[in-house]
Amino acid sequence: MAVMVGEIDNTWDDPRRRAPLVTGNLDFAGVTETVCRVTETPVRQTPRAWTIAFSISSTLLLILLLMIAYLFFTGVGVWGLNNPVGWGFDITNFVFWVGIGHAGTLISAILYLFRQRWRTGINRFAEAMTIFAVICALMFPGIHVGRIWFIYYMFPLPNQMGMWPQFRSPLLWDVFAVGTYFAVSLMFWYVGMIPDLATLRDRAKTQARKIIYGLLAVGWNGSARHWHRFERAYLLLAALCTPLVLSVHSVVSFDFAVSMLPGWHTTIFPPYFVAGAIFGGFAMVLFLAVPARAYFGLKHLITLRHIENMNKILLATGMIVGYAYLMEFFIAWYSANAVELFMFKTRAMGPFAWAYWTMVTCNVIVPQIFWSKRMRNNMLVTFLVAVLVNVGMWFERFVIIVSSLAQDFTPAAWDSYRPTWVEILTLAGSFGLFFTLFLLFCRFLPMVAMAEVKVIMPQPHGGHREGS
Amino acid sequence: MPPLTSPPRPVRDRSPLTRAADTPARFEPSGRARQGSLKGRTYWRSLDELADSPEFRAHLEREFPNLAPHLTPATRRTFLKLMGASLALAGATACRWPAELIVPYARRPPGRTPGVSVSYATAFELGGVGTGVLATSFDGRPIKIEGNELHPFSRGATDALAQASVLELYDPDRSTRVVQRVATDGRMIEMNRSWEEFAAWAGQHFGTLKSRAGAGLRVLSGATSSPTFADVRARFLKVFPQAKWFEYEPLSRDNERIGTAMAFGKPHRPQLRFDQAERVVCFDCDFLLTHPASVRYMRDFASRRARVDHDQTLNRLYVIESTYSLTGANADERYAVRSSDIPALLCHLAAELGRQGVTIPPAIASFEAPPGAAPPRYLAEMAVDLAAHQGRSIIAVGPRQSPDAHAVAALLNEALGNVGKTVHYTAEPDPQRPTHLDAIGALAVDLHDATPRTLIILGGNPAYDAPADLAFDALLARHTVVHLSLYRNETSQHCTWHLPAAHYLEAWGDCCAWDGTLSLVQPLIDPLYNGRAPIELLTLLAGDELTRGYELVRRTFKAQFTGGGDFEAAWRRGLHDGLVPDTAWPLQTPSTNADWAAIASRIKGTVSPPARASLGGGAPNADTYEIVFAQDHKLYDGRFANNGWLQELPDPITKLTWDNAALISTADAARLRVRQDDKIEITVGDRRLSLPVYVLPGHAPGSLTLPLGYGRPHAGIVAQGSGFDVYKLRTAARWHVATGAKVRRAGGTYRLSTTQDHHTIDSDVGREETKVRVPELLREGTLEEFKRDPKFAAKRAHALPLIQLFGDHEFRDKPKWAMTVDLNRCTGCSACVLACQAENNIPVVGKEEVLRGREMHWMRIDRYFSGDPRQADDVHISQQPMLCQQCENAPCEQVCPVGATLHDQEGLNVMVYNRCIGTRYCSNNCPWKVRRFNWFYNHYGPKHPRSKATGTPPYPGTLPQTEITPIEMMVHNPNVTVRTRGVMEKCTYCIQRIEAAKIKARNDGRPVRDGEIVTACQQVCPAEALLFGDLNDAGSRIARLYPNERSYFMLETLNARPRTRYLARIRNPLHDAGGTQEQGHAPQHVGGGAEPGRTG
Repeated sequence: MAVMVGEIDNTWDDPRRRAPLVTGNLDFAGVTETVCRVTETPVRQTPRAWTIAFSISSTLLLILLLMIAYLFFTGVGVWGLNNPVGWGFDITNFVFWVGIGHAGTLISAILYLFRQRWRTGINRFAEAMTIFAVICALMFPGIHVGRIWFIYYMFPLPNQMGMWPQFRSPLLWDVFAVGTYFAVSLMFWYVGMIPDLATLRDRAKTQARKIIYGLLAVGWNGSARHWHRFERAYLLLAALCTPLVLSVHSVVSFDFAVSMLPGWHTTIFPPYFVAGAIFGGFAMVLFLAVPARAYFGLKHLITLRHIENMNKILLATGMIVGYAYLMEFFIAWYSANAVELFMFKTRAMGPFAWAYWTMVTCNVIVPQIFWSKRMRNNMLVTFLVAVLVNVGMWFERFVIIVSSLAQDFTPAAWDSYRPTWVEILTLAGSFGLFFTLFLLFCRFLPMVAMAEVKVIMPQPHGGHREGS
Repeated sequence: MPPLTSPPRPVRDRSPLTRAADTPARFEPSGRARQGSLKGRTYWRSLDELADSPEFRAHLEREFPNLAPHLTPATRRTFLKLMGASLALAGATACRWPAELIVPYARRPPGRTPGVSVSYATAFELGGVGTGVLATSFDGRPIKIEGNELHPFSRGATDALAQASVLELYDPDRSTRVVQRVATDGRMIEMNRSWEEFAAWAGQHFGTLKSRAGAGLRVLSGATSSPTFADVRARFLKVFPQAKWFEYEPLSRDNERIGTAMAFGKPHRPQLRFDQAERVVCFDCDFLLTHPASVRYMRDFASRRARVDHDQTLNRLYVIESTYSLTGANADERYAVRSSDIPALLCHLAAELGRQGVTIPPAIASFEAPPGAAPPRYLAEMAVDLAAHQGRSIIAVGPRQSPDAHAVAALLNEALGNVGKTVHYTAEPDPQRPTHLDAIGALAVDLHDATPRTLIILGGNPAYDAPADLAFDALLARHTVVHLSLYRNETSQHCTWHLPAAHYLEAWGDCCAWDGTLSLVQPLIDPLYNGRAPIELLTLLAGDELTRGYELVRRTFKAQFTGGGDFEAAWRRGLHDGLVPDTAWPLQTPSTNADWAAIASRIKGTVSPPARASLGGGAPNADTYEIVFAQDHKLYDGRFANNGWLQELPDPITKLTWDNAALISTADAARLRVRQDDKIEITVGDRRLSLPVYVLPGHAPGSLTLPLGYGRPHAGIVAQGSGFDVYKLRTAARWHVATGAKVRRAGGTYRLSTTQDHHTIDSDVGREETKVRVPELLREGTLEEFKRDPKFAAKRAHALPLIQLFGDHEFRDKPKWAMTVDLNRCTGCSACVLACQAENNIPVVGKEEVLRGREMHWMRIDRYFSGDPRQADDVHISQQPMLCQQCENAPCEQVCPVGATLHDQEGLNVMVYNRCIGTRYCSNNCPWKVRRFNWFYNHYGPKHPRSKATGTPPYPGTLPQTEITPIEMMVHNPNVTVRTRGVMEKCTYCIQRIEAAKIKARNDGRPVRDGEIVTACQQVCPAEALLFGDLNDAGSRIARLYPNERSYFMLETLNARPRTRYLARIRNPLHDAGGTQEQGHAPQHVGGGAEPGRTG
């Protein structure tokens, strides 16, 4: 890992000359080879690192399944929740994972619409990350309910009693928002992958690969008509995804903002949550990209410039989040709402102060290191910052949820919260689910959007198509 | 076997209790300051956070009672049959009841509708004092205890203990079989026997005894006021003239008996009239909670308190005590002194009264403080106040105080002219009886004798609760002991024969109230576990011609029935009304005549040098402490230890559940360097005990209070690992108060589970905020403040314009249910919490879950301290019942994704259990946090307290109880869904009672009358603090009380529009500055200009 020897610095900003987005003098065949080689490695030659990582993550996944089974058979009481603190790790994890899921769609859809060509190197696995993060996220509201066997009450299913969900509840909006987001993101990811799947199909040497990639490639033959429709569909889906990027986390923030709990009942939440999600999401992309490019030899596709660009976004969104933290305090003071003011005082100085200051340190102070270009280009630093930002963003949700619930209006009802081993293992297990899916993706699907990368490469007849 | 009890007589169809005819009985679990502006009181919650170390649970070796016996009669159908049979024959005659006549429910007995509850009058006796109750029976199962409105010491209300007695009835841990311990191969083996086998053995054994005129026969019984028992006892002693009878109770009012005997020549029982008293001074007397007449006294006291609305007058309650009692919490002036200094304070008060011109015998009037101490100043002020209210005051002394103190109190009441006005006396029954302490001591001496005796123990548990120095359990081994009790308790382990006793709801009997009013005890159910009443056992042993409880009670009743008229009619009326009129003892006005000089010198002798602190002589000696053995607020003397409802009921003062602890003052805690949960070791004489401390602000320094009744090794599964046995320190010489105790920090901690402040890691910010916030939540004012501005309470919070986006919903042609909680009446006794639990099938969750903050009570009593914790006299307790506020703009309703909590057309915030999926969002959004979530299957399952009993498999009690046993199911109210796991629940204003009343009214073609619907909490409340009714009925009591000057809504600015309205509390402190100075006991106005827009 860390800084790769022979890294080509494409991070300069010379207005006369565009920095190449693909380095290493790769040609089209080289790109195809680089990407496809990973999926085509025979099972016996699977990189050892992958095997180790996969066995760890699948063990964690197994633990998750066991924890869920224990939860289902015994009751939500196996978690450390109590009467005032009705939500703890469960919803913290949910919001955390939904947040992670943001960056993928932002990179693929918004950057696509803004013609940020550098996105192509990272969009595929950013999108994959989105899908897997949203799967992890969706799991938590599902399992956190008291009676899992009636979870379908949440869905607007026609029934003989004419009973419908309660449409004023933000939890229901969540179901729709996250569900829609998941469906559209999945479609966007898959549609974007079709040409690459066709490449894999065409290169397939075994019967199984031929059949599987053949089915997945849905008959793609690379004709101009296919390309035309593909581009149209992709653009439309990108347009569809863009508002979702903003809406999903806004709706998730409504879970809190719409309630009347001090610390939750805040109008700043939708933009604050979206910024936080992008922040956390990019951190996760970096967290995945830095080792991935090292291990899978993708440093020419996911170049230093990509990493630097993302580090810049991290710095920018980190400061937005920091601003939001300050603004919460300011509004609590400015509104003269004593209950609100107390909530923020107790966050900073009360029983959960340790969590609050962890959050501030990780989210606001740590990213400041990226003012330095050297640090932005240092893979080790990037990786560590990504980890810390993820920790910080998890704590942000924890602080919001738990500290607000623990001490609200009636002091006699105040209580604390302490997670049980079941919750801690469930959180660990959710990472297991995420990484298991991600490792499978890395191993069997094209990690980089080959077709798109080729578009941004210098081409023989393309005139000045050097970079973008 | 006694086949059946004779038929109970229904009282009347008490409409509020009558169940809906068309509601089927269901048993299955849910089918499906800022500092600046704050001048006065400061409020805070707890002293320090709990330690995080894992709690230590005592693993006690015990034998498990068999959980299996799901007796055949325990199914509903069989009950229907049995009860049907009894009722079908009700009209016949009232003599023998042939067992064969159990008939199927083929024809409906007259006057009986299946599925409709019927109430029967009976009486609940505790420690020899009975209280009239109504037991609500549902298809033959008693499910709820209510007060008997006709009974002078109930007036429709009960206390928590009586409420919980119905759970005791169905306790699967109760003794279920006759057991004989036989020596085989040098070991004692327990053999299961039947009553017939016992009878055969008894016939032989007692036949021999009879021939020896009962020589060597000893009987130990608890205190009882039952005339039938007295009659049976007399007959028994006639058969066994040489037999000796001993009466023992670990908690008794014997000191009052001796004290009044000293004062008047004969023991007398004070009958106090708190409704007429303007000034009440309590010396260590908790008349509101632990007094046998507390239900009546609380009602009287509260009714006097409530007069503030009518004439702006208020009585004043002074309390001088060592620990914080409920009475202390309701005091206007409270002073914390060591318990052993109280007699001296009484004498000082007498002396001060003498200076105020009250006639006091010179021996008392010249009482002097010991050298180096001066009587506290407040006594002089109190004396002035009392002298100004002669004939309208009460001096009350508690049972822990010495007989001398009681004698002085009798003197003071007489001197103040209270006797015959606010203080009456009745002669104590059985005046020759030795004290319980003397009796048990005499018995121990007797048993110590080498001659083997035959001892019959009727109820009671001397092996656990007798004075520790008697080593009673060891004494039992050498004798033939027959033990009849509800549980196979500690004593049973040492007895030759253990016999199951019948619960009072299963047996015939009678008892007398505090004033002597006779009540009949009638059974509502055939004995579940084959138990028999003590009177039945005695007649069996004595060979009486009658052996059935029914016949025995009738015989006594007949003997007492001297007046003319129809005996049968009088009997029936007695059964129906639950009391026999005009049986109260005559009131007497005895005059005092005692050797006051001797009393004064004895009292002076008790004031030992270390005790001078209370008398103003500086800090108490740091080395020795006094230990006060206190009646537990929940377990009484320990007999209710296996009652889950009581174990989990938060103590009204400490909010402790499942455990006792050494209650200690903040000063002593600082000196010993201990905090809550830290263990201390107490050494009294040569006895040692280590137990955790609970730092109780307001507790007298130099004194520790140890509640009795915990740490029982053989109480049952529920009681396992609960608390510490402090009887081990309680010796005959140090029966109430042990002085000269050494206390040191023992090291180690023990997790105490409290329902408030539970493991809240308190922060300075939190404490500061509590100070600011509580005065708005719980509004209190002083009398002067109230006089100046009766609407002071409404002004405590800043008013905001509360705008409704869509306009108000009008509840036209519909009732508009609402509730008021009068904080001025509420004493915080917590009977309502238990009544709610009994009515609404609220599960017990166990200590572990309480520690996690998951107690299920729909009602809680929020308790806040105020004042400077370092000054024990300055600490005040304020309490506020908290239950669902039934908001019109309910925050919970808007966030539920599945519409499981909704508003009905009468403005109730209803909970649809079947629809709830358990997202807990409603609870998160509830500003009052009154919703409760079922984290597990709380009625059964692996996390059920009964399943989590400690022990080693394969005892049945240690295996998960995977389903609710039929016996446990029987206590459930069939009109309330038993909630399953994963479901949110909350107070519904007892919607089942509302609906029952509505159905009845509809059947009668009339509107629901005001007062027809009484919620469970309202019904039980001795203080009448809660009132429920229809706001749309202009004539209703609630419609009149709702706009009361003292009323306010809690957290009104949230615009949730609660229906529950609070009425501010008014206190009447001695120095009432009207809330403008520090001395005011009420929180000051904190809304003020300094904090505009304090909202939620």
